[in-house]
Amino acid sequence: MKKLLRKKEFSIFLIIVFISIVITVASPTFLRPDNLIDVLKGNVVLGIMALGMLPVLISGGIDLSVTGTIALSAVLCGKLMVTYGSNIWMVFLLAILIGAGIGFLDGIIIAKLRIPPIVTTLGMQSVFVGIVLLYTNGDWITNLPPWFKQFGTFTVGVLPNGSGGTLGIPVQIVFLIAAGLITWFVLKYTLIGRGIYAIGGSRSSALRVGYNIDRIQVFIYMYCGVMAGIAGVLHTSIVQQVDPNTFTGMELNVIVAVVIGGASTVGGSGTVFGTFLGVILMAVLENGMVLARIPTFWQKIVMGIIIVIATSFDVINHKREQNKLVRVDIEE
Amino acid sequence: MDGAFLELDHISKTFPGVKALSDVHFDILPGEVHALVGENGAGKSTLIKIMSGVYQPDKGGVIRVNGKETNISGTIDAIRQGIAVIYQDFSLFGNLTAAENIGINGAIDKNRLVVNWKKMYQEAKKALEIVGADIDPSVTLGNLSVAKQQMVAIASAIAQDAKMIIMDEPTSSLSKTEIDKLFEIIGTLKKKNIAVMFVSHKLDEVFRVSDRITVFRDGRYISTAKSGEVNTDQLISMMVGRKVLDKNYANLEKKNGVALEVNRLTKEGNFKDISFRLFKGEVLGITGLVGAGRSEMAQAIFGINRADSGEILVDGEKVRINSPTDAMNAGIAYIPENRQTQGLIQDQTVESNIALPLLKHYTNRIGLVKRGNQRAFAEKWIDRLDVRPKNPELLAMQLSGGNQQKVVLAKWIAADARILIVDEPTNGVDIGAKAEIHRIIREIAAAGTSVILISSELPEILSVSDRILVMRRGRIAGEFVNKDVTQEMIMDKALVSNR
Amino acid sequence: MKSWKAWKAKHSNELTLLLILLGVFVLMSVLSPSKFLSPGNIQTMAFQMPEFGLMALGMMAAILTGGINLSITSVGALSGIVSAFVLSSPWAKTNPVLATLLAVVVCVAIAALTGLLNGFVIAYVGVAAMLTTLGTMTLFDGISLNLTKGGSIAGFPSLFIQIGNGSVGGIPIPILIYTVAVVAAYYILERSAWGIQVYMTGCNRIATSFSGINTKRTLLLVYVFSSVMAGLGGLIIISRYNSAKVDYGSSYMMNSVAAVVLGGTSINGGHGTVAGTVIAVAIIQMVSSGLNILGVNRYIVDIVIGVILIAVLAIRSLAGIYDRAKLLRKHTAS
Repeated sequence: MKKLLRKKEFSIFLIIVFISIVITVASPTFLRPDNLIDVLKGNVVLGIMALGMLPVLISGGIDLSVTGTIALSAVLCGKLMVTYGSNIWMVFLLAILIGAGIGFLDGIIIAKLRIPPIVTTLGMQSVFVGIVLLYTNGDWITNLPPWFKQFGTFTVGVLPNGSGGTLGIPVQIVFLIAAGLITWFVLKYTLIGRGIYAIGGSRSSALRVGYNIDRIQVFIYMYCGVMAGIAGVLHTSIVQQVDPNTFTGMELNVIVAVVIGGASTVGGSGTVFGTFLGVILMAVLENGMVLARIPTFWQKIVMGIIIVIATSFDVINHKREQNKLVRVDIEE
Repeated sequence: MDGAFLELDHISKTFPGVKALSDVHFDILPGEVHALVGENGAGKSTLIKIMSGVYQPDKGGVIRVNGKETNISGTIDAIRQGIAVIYQDFSLFGNLTAAENIGINGAIDKNRLVVNWKKMYQEAKKALEIVGADIDPSVTLGNLSVAKQQMVAIASAIAQDAKMIIMDEPTSSLSKTEIDKLFEIIGTLKKKNIAVMFVSHKLDEVFRVSDRITVFRDGRYISTAKSGEVNTDQLISMMVGRKVLDKNYANLEKKNGVALEVNRLTKEGNFKDISFRLFKGEVLGITGLVGAGRSEMAQAIFGINRADSGEILVDGEKVRINSPTDAMNAGIAYIPENRQTQGLIQDQTVESNIALPLLKHYTNRIGLVKRGNQRAFAEKWIDRLDVRPKNPELLAMQLSGGNQQKVVLAKWIAADARILIVDEPTNGVDIGAKAEIHRIIREIAAAGTSVILISSELPEILSVSDRILVMRRGRIAGEFVNKDVTQEMIMDKALVSNR
Repeated sequence: MKSWKAWKAKHSNELTLLLILLGVFVLMSVLSPSKFLSPGNIQTMAFQMPEFGLMALGMMAAILTGGINLSITSVGALSGIVSAFVLSSPWAKTNPVLATLLAVVVCVAIAALTGLLNGFVIAYVGVAAMLTTLGTMTLFDGISLNLTKGGSIAGFPSLFIQIGNGSVGGIPIPILIYTVAVVAAYYILERSAWGIQVYMTGCNRIATSFSGINTKRTLLLVYVFSSVMAGLGGLIIISRYNSAKVDYGSSYMMNSVAAVVLGGTSINGGHGTVAGTVIAVAIIQMVSSGLNILGVNRYIVDIVIGVILIAVLAIRSLAGIYDRAKLLRKHTAS
């Protein structure tokens, strides 16, 4: 059984190590702690959204509405801060409520009206992105309160930064780690979490065994929504402004990260660890290309090729394993 | 009956347009193995669904558990009252571990918020030991064989403290050794005073394992008898309502010409050194234990599971078969074991299904399909094989199992396959339809098609084939001409090694 | 009489959609009769709809097999951009007719190539369609960016511009192209042997393969078809804009999924009609244009389309659940 664990996640880990080595050789600044922290910080948003998307994919569903959720959360929280002053707790509360609300809508429609997740969340995406753009008219929200800037640059703890000084861990990364731990716990130890795997494995069996599928589905999409909501606030805290147009296309990146990390689009499998690896892989690639001064157009090409090759390898490997399955114990 | 664990009286179940059950009765004692037999449509699965809480009986029906009148309100309620069902598809989770599969019901029932993995593992281990299964609870279920998965399902029932386990066609995917093991487990269950309801089409097994046998026919209760007090003919007669003769079709005349020749076909992990000949117009039965490699070999001939080495000759000429298209071009057709998901497209009409292999034949020069021709074609074959209902626009899923199988047969007979390989054609088909399918197979053989019949049911093999091949562990272990052959002779070849 | 009833039942979906289309048309006409029914608006809708419709047809083919083609607008953009190079070259200035013809050929050829790539990875390697086209979408966008360096390519021969902006006998040329494409798609998908294979593969790939159909080749050709439709759409787009840019038409991707699903194609594949898709495209176009004319903020249009999509599907789903339950109960009555 340990061998299985080594198969998927381990190979991604190896790839990450390999690429890191290549990048470091080309550009030693890569391995500097402050660069690594920066890279991680820059991908916190992707990471948290991926953690929210993971349960959805495990259950065999998909959530394309996360872009709408994160945008709405960023915009409304931004407006809240700019117009009412407010404090960090209110901001997060609002973000969570927005995420939960949109997620609830997604989940209810999917569970009760039986409309396939891809279509439901697509429609929701349309609606909420539209609401965001309508509300802001595409305008940015700047002049956020100074206490928020403080929050955004808040660091925890002390680490050596490789050039004699010290470095703190940005609060956003703390959020990411917390989200990871919570997601891991929910998936592994709670009944709802096990229900998610069950639904992804066999919906009919999950019904027979007594899982409340509707309730679990609503939970999954609410969880994903909440993660996206929180990600919205964190995103704003990093860039210190809200550009409602900047979130376009995020949902696809999130899905790629989760899938590269080992989750199957059909459902039934996926782990927090794998998702982390998927996010790190994408982060490392992007940073590597930037450090190597590869122009943006090439980055897209490289990314595209990697997605196709990575997923192809996965499938080919899987097929080879299936083929090797000894079906008959041959008599000599 | 007094002392019964579960008793159902005056049970009826009506659906819009159909009365599935009419005033039936069934009871089962603790520690008893009680078999329920009947053709497809007799009402067996409806009864099971009522017992397991999926359906509610019509008004007037009485259910008693341990003598007390009660109501089984849902699936969880059934489990709480001690009734567990092992469906044909097991209802397990291939992506989860055996331990989780076993413990999941209990966890949901007690509504635990957090899962205690250690406890679950230990309880699973205990349940598996009671069942006598040598399975590591931490193994992912999907990696276990079908027989082992079934053991996990039984362990799951035991973990839920079941007082009665309903087994629906439990032996359909098991080899003989695995069936023996299952019966051993049933013996253990009996000793623990757990009642077992055994629903099966295989009468020899029913006689072997049950204490009492109940017969349903067309949704009605016919009778119940102790298994020692009734014989197969009587049983069949009650199930079918008329006498069915056991026919022997073997045609021992010398055959002209070799339709298919296979030489030293080998595929690692699947089969080795397979060589045989199939004569024109004959029915060659291939049997052996489940897991002997019969389907794997057949699929290699059909191009799904390509062999590593060896040669295949059709009508004396060597052919390369790398895909089903190649096989079809060589005149070979294959009717898969899993008719519902592989043999037919459930969501499409009977007409579309029948017409599929031969699309080219009623396509005009620009590639468009001549719908009129397609319809006439389909109707002709529906008629020939007596598919009921006769409507070509019905979806395949709306037909009964036996009729679905006839549609699958029609599709390939229509395609004029010269060599037809049928894999377990009457699995899960009721006795009446079974006889019809046997007759159809013999008819097409007489008309010149060469048929390979793969089956685990020895009576079927002995009834329908001209010659018989026995496979054992990936190789051909024996060959018989179907004259004076007994089931023991075949079993002997299927089981014993030549050392 | 009997066959009329049966025909109505069989095409109830398309008839319902037609009713909705009619309803939308009437609603928009009533709300702003002078502007909505003006020849100018009708012309605008007629010029804008074909490119969307072509994308939707391309998406439909992929969805019919149970897959999806996220790269569709990227393919359109890429084919358009490569053609744009031909069209804006100095040679094109002196040989407009030849250049136009060559541009069309190049466009379709590039599109077909992308389709081969998609089809190969999806059908022969076996990667899920969503993932594959996600990857190729990124790849094609990257190539397009590389070719245009982020900017746009402009300056096409006036003959070529006619394709997207001219009319023949009062009928806009894009509509003519669209009509031909729709009819071709109908015959190819719903009436030809290959098309039936596509539906069957989408319903149950294994059973279809066991019936002797080369499903790998079928799938490959589906994605080629999908890309070619996208390429044609891209051609019309660059002609209308008289320039080519990476993000032209990018909004059509999600909207075409919406159109296909609204039109009655099952997201899991195996069922759907060209007519349904075409009507749904028209509905979305009309809603979009109508709301625009009413001065409604363009963002609201997206919201409205999202709501319509979910509402129609909800109604269909509820009706379908009811029907299915009846059907299956009859079957499993024993």
